[in-house]
Amino acid sequence: MTQQSTLAPPVATEAGSVQVRNVVKRYGTATAVAGVNLDVRSGEFLSLLGPSGCGKTTLLRMIAGFEEPDEGDIVLAGSSVVGVPPHKRPVNTVFQAYALFPHMSVAENVAYGLRQRRTSRAEIGARVTEALDLVQMGTFATRNPKMLSGGQQQRVALARAIVNRPKVLLLDEPMSALDRKLREEMQLELKLLQRRLGITFVFVTHDQAEALSMSDRIVVMLDGRVQQVGTAEDIYTNPATSFVAGFIGKQNFIAGTVAGNGRLVTADGEIAAADADAAPAGSAVLAAVRAESITVSTVRPDTDVNVVKAAVGAVSFLGETIQYQLTTGSGHELLARVPPLHGELLPAGSTVWCSWAPAHVQVFPNPHPSTGGQ
Amino acid sequence: MHGNNPLKVLAPADAVPWISRRALLGGFGVVGLSIAASAGLSGCGRSQGFAASAVPNGEVGNQLNVYSWGDYEDPEDIADFEATGVRVQLDSFGSNEELIAKLAATRGTSGYDVIVPTGVYIPQMAANGLLQPLEHALIPNMANLDPEYLDQAWDPGNKYSLPKAWGTTGYVYDTRIIKRELTSWQDFLDAASKEAAGKTAVLEDSWEVVAIYLAAKHHDMNTEDPTLLDAAEDYLVNTLAKNIRAFNSTIVSTGIPQGTFALMQAFNGDARQGMLSSSDPERWKFVFPTPTANLWMDNWAVATGTQHPDAAYAFINHMLTPEAALREVQYIGYHTGAKGLKEAALADKMELPDLVFPPHDVLDRLKSAVLNEAQERRVQILNRMESKAGA
Amino acid sequence: MSKLSRNSVGVAALAFPTWAYLAFFFIIPVALVLWYSFGFKPDLFTAHDNSVLSLDRYFETADPTFLSTFWNTLQIAGVGTLICLLIGVPFAYWLAVKVPSRWRALLLALVLVPFWTNFLVRTLGWQILLAPEGFLSDALQTMHLTTGPLSILYTRAAVQLGVVYNYLPLMVMPLFVAMDRAGASLREASRDLGANRWRTLWQVTLPLAAPGIASGCLLVFIPLMGDYITASVLGGAQGNMVGQLVANQFNSAQNWALGSAMAVVLMIFILLTVAIVGAVILAVRAVLRHNRRVVMDRTDIESAVIEEAAA
Ligand SMILES: Nc1ncnc2c1ncn2[C@@H]1O[C@H](COP(=O)(O)OP(=O)(O)OP(=O)(O)O)[C@@H](O)[C@H]1O
Ligand SMILES: [Mg+2]
Repeated sequence: MTQQSTLAPPVATEAGSVQVRNVVKRYGTATAVAGVNLDVRSGEFLSLLGPSGCGKTTLLRMIAGFEEPDEGDIVLAGSSVVGVPPHKRPVNTVFQAYALFPHMSVAENVAYGLRQRRTSRAEIGARVTEALDLVQMGTFATRNPKMLSGGQQQRVALARAIVNRPKVLLLDEPMSALDRKLREEMQLELKLLQRRLGITFVFVTHDQAEALSMSDRIVVMLDGRVQQVGTAEDIYTNPATSFVAGFIGKQNFIAGTVAGNGRLVTADGEIAAADADAAPAGSAVLAAVRAESITVSTVRPDTDVNVVKAAVGAVSFLGETIQYQLTTGSGHELLARVPPLHGELLPAGSTVWCSWAPAHVQVFPNPHPSTGGQ
Repeated sequence: MHGNNPLKVLAPADAVPWISRRALLGGFGVVGLSIAASAGLSGCGRSQGFAASAVPNGEVGNQLNVYSWGDYEDPEDIADFEATGVRVQLDSFGSNEELIAKLAATRGTSGYDVIVPTGVYIPQMAANGLLQPLEHALIPNMANLDPEYLDQAWDPGNKYSLPKAWGTTGYVYDTRIIKRELTSWQDFLDAASKEAAGKTAVLEDSWEVVAIYLAAKHHDMNTEDPTLLDAAEDYLVNTLAKNIRAFNSTIVSTGIPQGTFALMQAFNGDARQGMLSSSDPERWKFVFPTPTANLWMDNWAVATGTQHPDAAYAFINHMLTPEAALREVQYIGYHTGAKGLKEAALADKMELPDLVFPPHDVLDRLKSAVLNEAQERRVQILNRMESKAGA
Repeated sequence: MSKLSRNSVGVAALAFPTWAYLAFFFIIPVALVLWYSFGFKPDLFTAHDNSVLSLDRYFETADPTFLSTFWNTLQIAGVGTLICLLIGVPFAYWLAVKVPSRWRALLLALVLVPFWTNFLVRTLGWQILLAPEGFLSDALQTMHLTTGPLSILYTRAAVQLGVVYNYLPLMVMPLFVAMDRAGASLREASRDLGANRWRTLWQVTLPLAAPGIASGCLLVFIPLMGDYITASVLGGAQGNMVGQLVANQFNSAQNWALGSAMAVVLMIFILLTVAIVGAVILAVRAVLRHNRRVVMDRTDIESAVIEEAAA
C-alpha cells in the first residue's frame, strides 16, 4: 500500500495557504481577537502559542467557520471564506476533546466525512483503511470510540480529519489530554505525518516545548494580538518583547537603567549586555537572563562583570537539570538551571556565585518601570 | 355464582361528579349489581356481624357525619344546623354502588350517620342490614312532608327512609335549531335524527336510554319482554346511536351555557341549572315528554352502626323544616317533597319554577324505574350503542 | 455457605432500599390488581371476592364497548404521542441548539407553566375555550374564519387536542435534555466534516437524542393510555378512553374484579405496543447501521462479533 500516492501529494501549492487580515472578534464588550494578521504558507506547520484566554481557539474557530469575524477577512487558497458555512470550507479540525461520535464505530467515525461527499462504498473502505493504518489504528476499526484510550481517540480524530484530504488541518490542543510520555510520542508522529502529507497544519497549544519541537513557525499571542511570528530559534533567541522572552523558557528579569557604556545599572551592581545600548541612556529597562544561562559555583569565577553573590534557597531536581532558587544581596530572586555537577547538589543556605555571559543578556524596555519589573 | 354473573358492568356512570350538582339521580347509571346475586343475598346472613348502632339517648353531641351526593345540600342549611353545636362532616359519593360498597365493606364502622340512597336500592340495603330503622318520634317535622311522596313501594310505611328530593327525566332543546314544538319521546327520536343529528346527548344510563324508545312506542318502560327489547336495540343501535354526540349524565348543566348540543336528555333539576347559567334562557325549552317518564326519589336514611343517632335525627328533622325545604329546592333545583313547597317557592319568586313543579297531569303519568331481570339486557344495549357511536 | 454466596447476600442487603421501593410501589400494587382480576363481584354490597378464582372477568372485558373504546384509546394515544413528537422535536432542537443559553431556563419554565395548575382545571379550561359559545368560537366568527359556531367540543379532535396540550411538556423535557447533552461540539464536528445542518440533525443530533426520544414517547404514551380525565371532560361519544371504563369500575360501579381485569388487559396491551414499536425501531436501526457500515479491505481487524458482545 502506498500511502504517499493516495493521500495528498507532498507538494506545497497555494491550495493550503491561509491569510488572516485584520481580524477582530468581540464577545459583548470583551475582545477575544483584536486585529490579527497572519500568513500561513501552504504545507507549513504553524503553531499558535499563548496563555489561556489569549484568543487562540477563537482564531481557529473563525478559520473553520464556527464563528464569523466582526472585522477583517480570512482567505483560504486565495479566496475569502467569510460567510461560507463550515461544511463548505476546505479545512478540517481536530478538536480539543476529539468530539468522536459515540454512536458510531471507529471506522464509521472516520468514514463520516467521506459519506457526506457521497463517496462510493468501495472508495470509503479503501480510504478509511488507509487513514486508520496511517495512525496505526487499523485493528480498532470496529470498536466503539468510548472504549479507546485518550491517545487512541486522538489518533482516530486525526484519521477522521485527514481522510478527507483537507488543504488545511486545524488542531486545537489535540494533546492536552495525554500524559507526558504519550504526548511526546504523538508529537513526533504528528510531525512525521504532516511532513508526509504536506498538509498545512495550524496547531494550537499553550505548551511552549510542544510548539518549539514541532513547528516550522510559531505565532505567540497575548490578549488577542500577535506578539511575534518566527521560527522556534528566532523566538527563542530573539524574542521581540519581554512577554515573548518570558513565555519561552524560564527567564530571570532584572530591572535596571541604561548606563550608556554597554552596561546596565541594577540593584545588584552593573550588568554587561551585548545589546545594552539599543535603548537610550537613562531609560528604564528589563534585563532578561535565561535560567539555563546562569552558572552557579561555590568559588568566585574569574570575571568582573555579571557576577552576583547569592544564597541558595529551594533546590529541585528536574531530571536533566537541577533548579536552584537563589536570593541576591538586594533580595532579588533568581532561578538557575544547571547540569548536575558530579551528581552533587549544593545545600540550601550555602553561599554561591552566579554568573552569565553578556551575550546571554537580552534587554527590553520596562513596561512597568515603577514596579521595577516583574 | 361468579361464573354466571349475569350483568356486564360496562355502562359507565358519570366520572365527573364535580361538574354537576347532582350526578346520577336516575340511579341505574352504573348497574354494578347482579340481580341474581343480590336476590339470593338476604339469606346469606349479611346482616350478621355488623357493629351495633348507638341507642338514641337525647344527647345530640357535637359531631355528625353525612354521606351524600356531591353538592346536594345548601351550605346555609348545614351552617344553620351547625349553629346548634354539631359539627357536620359532609362527604360525597358518585353512585349508589359506591355508597353501598363502602357501607357493606366497613360493616357498620364507616362512621357515617346520615346517608342518601336512591329509592329503588332501599329494599336490598335494608334486607342486608345497612339501614337503621327510623324512630319517627324523633323526626316530628315528618309532618311537613306531602303524603303523596310517603309510603312508596320501595319502603312501605317509611320504615327506613324519608324523601329528600325527587325528580323526573325529560329533555331540553335549542329553539334556534329546532324550530318546531317538541312534546313526546317520539319527537325526541325524530329531532335527534333530523335537526339535532350529531348534536344530541343522552344520559349515560341504560334504563333511561332504553326508556326513550319504549316510552316513545307506548310500551312499559320496565318491560322484560325480549321482543320489545330486541326492537329497542335495533332502533337505538342502528338509528339513534350515530346521531349521538355524548353519553353523559352531567353534561346538561355545562352543555346549555356552552351551546354544545341542540337536544339533551336530562333530569329536570339539572336542565334548570343549565338554563339558569345560560346567557339566554329563553332559547332553551325543557319538555316533560309524553306519554311517560321516570320518577325517582333520593331519601334520607340512617346507616347501621351510627354513633350519633340523636344528631342524625336532629339533622333530618332540621332539613324537613319549611325554611330548609325552600332553601334546598332553590339550591339543588329538585322538589324535596315538602307540603306547600310550590306555593312557598312561587311566593319567593323562584326562577323557572315549572321545571321543578310539573303540573299535575305530568305527575300523574310518571312511573318509577324498577330494577328487574332485564337490566343486563339494557346494559348490553347501551354498550352496543356506545360502541356504535364511538366507532 | 461459600464466600461467593455470602457476598451476594451482602449485595442484596445493600440494595435493600432499591428493592423495597420497587416492592412497595410497583410489585405489590400490580400483584394485587392481578389477584383481584381473578375474583368477582359477588353482590351489590361487596367490591370484590377472591374465594373462587376464574378468568371470567377477562372474558367480560372482551365486550364490544371495551374493545372499541380500547381501539379509540390506542388511536388517541398513538396519534397524541406522534403529534407531541412532531412538535417536541423541533421545539427541543430549537431550545437546545438555537436559543442563547441565558433564555433557556426561562423558556423551559414556560413549557412547564401548565403544570403549575391542576390537570383537571386546565382541561376544564379547554372545555370553556372550545365551547361553541366560547371565546375562541366568537373570535373565529368575528374574524370570519369560520361560518357558524365552533363544533369541536365533545369530539375526538377535542380529546386529541387536550392530550397533546396536557402531555407535551413530558415530551419536550427529555428531548431537550437529550439534545442538550449531545452537545455543540459533536454538531460542530459534523459540520466540519462536511455535513450541512439538516444532515447533522439526522446523522448526529437525532441518533444521539434517541434515548430521550424513546423516554419522551414512553412518558407520553403510557400515562396517556390510562388517562381518563381528558376524555371525560373533552370527549363525547367518540372520544372515549379505556381509562374511563377502569375508573368507573373502581369508583362508581365498585366492581374491583372487573376493573382489575381491565387494568391488566390495558397493561398488557401497553407492554405489547411498546414492545412492537421497540422491535420496529430496532429493525430500522439495524438497517441504518447496515447502510452506514464500512467495508474494509483487510483481515486483521478485531473480530466484530467480540466487539458487539463487549459493547
Ligand atoms: N462564546 C464566547 N462568549 C464570550 N466570550 C468568549 C467566548 N468564547 C471565548 N470567549 C472569550 O474570548 C477570549 C478568548 O478565548 P479563547 O477560547 O479563544 O482562548 P484560548 O486562547 O483558546 O484559551 P485556552 O488556552 O484556555 O483554550 C477569552 O477571554 C474568552 O473568555
Ligand atoms: Mg482554547
